Amino acid sequence: MSRNKDTARALIQQKRRRRQWLTFLRVCRYGLSNFRRNAWLTVAATLVMTITLLIIFATFVAQQALRDTASTIGKELDRSIYLKSGTTEAQAKPVMVALQRLSNVERVSFISTDDGKNNFARDNKNDDARLRALTEASNRLPATIRIYLYDTSDTSELVEFVNTNTTLKKLISTQPGQTPTFMGERGLPTDVIASWTQTAQKIGVAATALFVAVSFLIIFNTIRMAIFNRRDEIEMMKLIGANKEFIRGPFLIEAIVYGVIAAVIATGIGLVTLLLMSERLQAWGVTIQPTIQFLTGYLWLVVLVMMMIGSVIGVVSSLLATRRYLKI
Amino acid sequence: MILLDRVSKKYDKDTKPALDRISLHVEPNEFVIIVGTSGAGKSTLLKLLTREEKPTTGKIVVGGIDYDTLKDKHIPLLRRKIGVVFQDFKLLPQRTVFENIAFALEIAGMSNREIRNTVPKVIELVGLQGKEKQFPHQLSGGEQQRVAIARAVVRQPKILIADEPTGNLDPKHSWDIVRLLEKINRYGTTVLLTTHNVEIVNRLKRRVITIDHGKITHDQARGSYRQ
Ligand SMILES: Nc1ncnc2c1ncn2[C@@H]1O[C@H](COP(=O)(O)OP(=O)(O)OP(=O)(O)O)[C@@H](O)[C@H]1O
Ligand SMILES: [Mg+2]
Repeated sequence: MSRNKDTARALIQQKRRRRQWLTFLRVCRYGLSNFRRNAWLTVAATLVMTITLLIIFATFVAQQALRDTASTIGKELDRSIYLKSGTTEAQAKPVMVALQRLSNVERVSFISTDDGKNNFARDNKNDDARLRALTEASNRLPATIRIYLYDTSDTSELVEFVNTNTTLKKLISTQPGQTPTFMGERGLPTDVIASWTQTAQKIGVAATALFVAVSFLIIFNTIRMAIFNRRDEIEMMKLIGANKEFIRGPFLIEAIVYGVIAAVIATGIGLVTLLLMSERLQAWGVTIQPTIQFLTGYLWLVVLVMMMIGSVIGVVSSLLATRRYLKI
Repeated sequence: MILLDRVSKKYDKDTKPALDRISLHVEPNEFVIIVGTSGAGKSTLLKLLTREEKPTTGKIVVGGIDYDTLKDKHIPLLRRKIGVVFQDFKLLPQRTVFENIAFALEIAGMSNREIRNTVPKVIELVGLQGKEKQFPHQLSGGEQQRVAIARAVVRQPKILIADEPTGNLDPKHSWDIVRLLEKINRYGTTVLLTTHNVEIVNRLKRRVITIDHGKITHDQARGSYRQ
């Protein structure tokens, strides 16, 4: 008896689920056909959405590329503390041990005056003027402690160390041009790169916010117009007993379609542009390859995420518009 | 089937009521014609039945449902039990005849198979065989109204409400539509019809309710149009 009841209830449940699924499919169908009906508004809405997604895409790429570039430069960079000419490794040892203890220091190495001279001679063996300068200045050539950092943009600890360590004070070179500056060989302090990254990030976030807002407004208005254009139809639907979901659903689907189409277009345009520009970017010293590898390697994921962003923008603005203008 | 007890409807506080303490009883399977001058309150009365409007005071019970206890979220369910036909047809312009009729079943969550079985029967009932794939703009006014009637009755409602369904039609098509409503009534549906067409009222010889300034002035079993 009770089992009969249970199966009956299960059947009813199953029936209801099937009905909900059917309704969902029908809502999708109506939403898609409304998308086609609205041609011009649709084009406009899809266009702003595409621009918005492109900006989000560009922000992501810029951020990745700058980070990679910074870390490439950072790896090439070492920081040097110049010691008095002729300082031996044994003399420098206590300073090096102390340096090694700093949390941001990965590794420390010592280059004696002689090593330095040899290195310099090797690096400049085709440059007679420089070699001559070396012999003249050989009595002034410093010994060097090279420091490799984990976080290349954070040198505060190092600066603090140089300013306070008393052993170092006695050893440090006082020759002009040999005070520690912690600059890279390219003459570009990593702080500068870090600040560029931050600025780029800020611009990206601001542009994204602006265009997300514009998209919201345009889609909100598109849906509002669609509601206005179809008010007789909506009235009829209500009067013959369509419920809220059935009336509102197609408008949501319509907005999702804007997002999905815009995502595909934006990813396409963004990626192709990036590929076309990649050589030039590399020539400018931008490390772009990892970003391109990521984007092409996870293309479907990228498209999917873009679709999700687009759909969320679409759904939220459509929900607000239907809530505001669809009196149901 | 339909019961109204001292129902009044005021749209605005300071104007005269559109309906003034109307009491009315309609039996199942009746065919009722509602007449009255423009602005008398006919449409208002029908809108109260479909819950498009709420009465200011009074009690309404339709098909056993007491409107006082009806929750807003159940209004769609109520409307699926009442068929409605309008003067301006209100068809979906981008949909074929078949799709327009099927729409009433789709919103009720009926399966595609049921829809394929049911719709052709109704198309035959209203005499639109062969026009299933046409769009509303390809049909005459009379044919469009048949589609609307088919959509209204495809769910086999107990009540059919038709507010001036012949208002936009010539006399011949008007009479065809009225005959169709009579046929639907014969199959067991209560029909409420409003019209300004004297000939229709006089030829039908059905119950006629006359409304004037929001009050029922006449209610005759086999009535005729009176000015
Ligand atoms: N939504 C509304 N807001 C305010 N007043 C309304 C509204 N609808 C109808 N009225 C008023 O209520 C009264 C009755 O209108 P109703 O539409 O019921 O008349 P009717 O008998 O259907 O007229 P007709 O034969 O022209 O269709 C009229 O005075 C009308 O102006
Ligand atoms: Mg009216």
